[in-house]
Amino acid sequence: MDTTVITDVFDERIDDALIWIGDNAAFLFEGIRAALEGTYEAILWLVSLPPFYVMALLVGVLGWRLIRWQAGVLAGVALVACAAMGLWSETMSTLALVATATMMALLIGIPLGIIAGFVRTFDRILQPSLDLIQTLPPYIYLLPAIALMGYGPATALFATVIVAMPPVVRLTSLGIRRTPHAFIELGHASGLTPWQMFAKIRMPFAVPSMMAGINQSLMMAFGMVVIAGIVGSGGLGETIYSAVRTLDIATSINAAIAIVILTMIIDRLTQSAAALAKGAAS
Amino acid sequence: MTHSKQHESDVLIDCQSVWKIFGARAKAAVDAVQRDGLSKTQILNEYDCVVGVSDASLQVRRGEIFCIMGLSGSGKSTLVRLLNRLIEPSLGRIMVKGKDISALNAAELRDMRARHIGMVFQSVALLPNRTVLENAAFGLEIRGVGKEERFKTARAALDKVGLSDWTGRYPSQLSGGMQQRVGLARAIAADPEIILMDEPFSALDPLIRRQLQDEFRQLTKSLGKSAVFITHDLEEAIRIGDRIAIMKDGVIVQVGDAEEIVTRPADDYVAEFVGGISRVHLVKAHSIMIPVAQYLSGPHTNIGALVRTTPEADIGALIDLTLQSGRDTIAVVDDGEVVGIVTTRALLGGVSGSQIATLAAA
Repeated sequence: MDTTVITDVFDERIDDALIWIGDNAAFLFEGIRAALEGTYEAILWLVSLPPFYVMALLVGVLGWRLIRWQAGVLAGVALVACAAMGLWSETMSTLALVATATMMALLIGIPLGIIAGFVRTFDRILQPSLDLIQTLPPYIYLLPAIALMGYGPATALFATVIVAMPPVVRLTSLGIRRTPHAFIELGHASGLTPWQMFAKIRMPFAVPSMMAGINQSLMMAFGMVVIAGIVGSGGLGETIYSAVRTLDIATSINAAIAIVILTMIIDRLTQSAAALAKGAAS
Repeated sequence: MTHSKQHESDVLIDCQSVWKIFGARAKAAVDAVQRDGLSKTQILNEYDCVVGVSDASLQVRRGEIFCIMGLSGSGKSTLVRLLNRLIEPSLGRIMVKGKDISALNAAELRDMRARHIGMVFQSVALLPNRTVLENAAFGLEIRGVGKEERFKTARAALDKVGLSDWTGRYPSQLSGGMQQRVGLARAIAADPEIILMDEPFSALDPLIRRQLQDEFRQLTKSLGKSAVFITHDLEEAIRIGDRIAIMKDGVIVQVGDAEEIVTRPADDYVAEFVGGISRVHLVKAHSIMIPVAQYLSGPHTNIGALVRTTPEADIGALIDLTLQSGRDTIAVVDDGEVVGIVTTRALLGGVSGSQIATLAAA
């Protein structure tokens, strides 16, 4: 028997399924596409509003307040360099892309993490799913999305959200589960309701772990920037992808530098903000 | 000491034959205890269950500091958690302020814990993300007391433990002793009638511990609270407690005031503990005096000329009296009548703890 028959049948089924979804659930994916692109457009509009020097100044001040003045100066100068390379609008659209994807990932991931922290059975199903998501190459997530939502930022966002979600889910549930026993006992002995126990005891102890998760998710989203360029994400990712295809090495290196700059600025700023929030708390 | 009529209403916690058995087959083990009265070893061997508390009965009266003393593994921490149902009893009944706490539903139990039984932990458990003031106000916050009022009450409680200058600090900025003071202030601020103290001072250094022991006793008495105080240190129990229960292997082996426990230990285990305790301020004249008849059967005839004291005078006072008077014997007088004689030999016996020898020799 020719074994290719089996794969042919399999492929046919998959194609049929995708067509069926495309025919019957188009409104659903149209909705997802509209939500993702709408959020992305709004954030992009916001970050594109100030000219590059105002943005560089704002980030510089933020760096000074959150870290120290040297960091602020460096961040400001680095952003001006992005503009000088002629990549300002690309840099901003990458920022908007990463911000949108991370926001969505947190919106889904934090509640999932909280539920997993409380419900053992749910956690037992969730853990292997997260393992699977993190083991598969991230390119995989572009496939169903491009079939259903076409070429463009929505598909890039969809794939990025999937990749960015696992860390925040894992670290949120870990934080919820790791409340020190003495404080749970304090809660019971003080007569806390289950809601009070969650809000006043479990959550505050989970925050540092959650913050680490948020930062990790953000970094995962940045890691998807270039891959998402393949499906027409726009921004620096797409610049690199098309420059590599035309062997325009100089442009691809410029865009890579801009990605590194953006990633480092966002990473440092969010980490310092988290540490500051934690410092005020303890 | 207490009149029986008053006694009934004055019992805040009444623990009646309470058992706690831990393990997968605890239910079967409990049935076996009820049916056949199995011993701890039998339960461990036949059911693979550990007996945490075994047939414990005790009563805590209003205004009393009741110490439960035992070494680690004696079941004292389990017992105190049974009193506010942090642990469910396997058998027996626990009445708090006349209510069977096993019968309370979740909301009633929360209310009981929030209003009537406070708890202070060895680990203190101050929330690290809250200031000292916010921690002290925690119990009131849970009950939905407004911010202004709860901070006012919390400030007053912190003032009582001498921390009014530290309200804005975070727990990590405080020493161990100060943290435990905040723990105490948190319990007091909620104004419960009963405070459960689970080895609160065990992790502190000796000097601070003594200081806190005295402050705690004074504070509890002045506020008219009742307390159940868990400790592994007999000296601490004696310093703090009005009455002391000694636990061993889940069983309460003796309940009594400090003097009773020191002078009449129930068994060898208690006796061994008591051996190292200074008796000078614990043992009173009435415990060491010899009967008047016995004294008169010797060469002595006149008891009228002796120096006099009360039955409640402790050994320290009796020694002072002996030294000052320059005589060897003291008459113990109660209600104008001589009820016994304290000889120097009896005093020495009282200090060393070997009264039987003293009595025989006298």
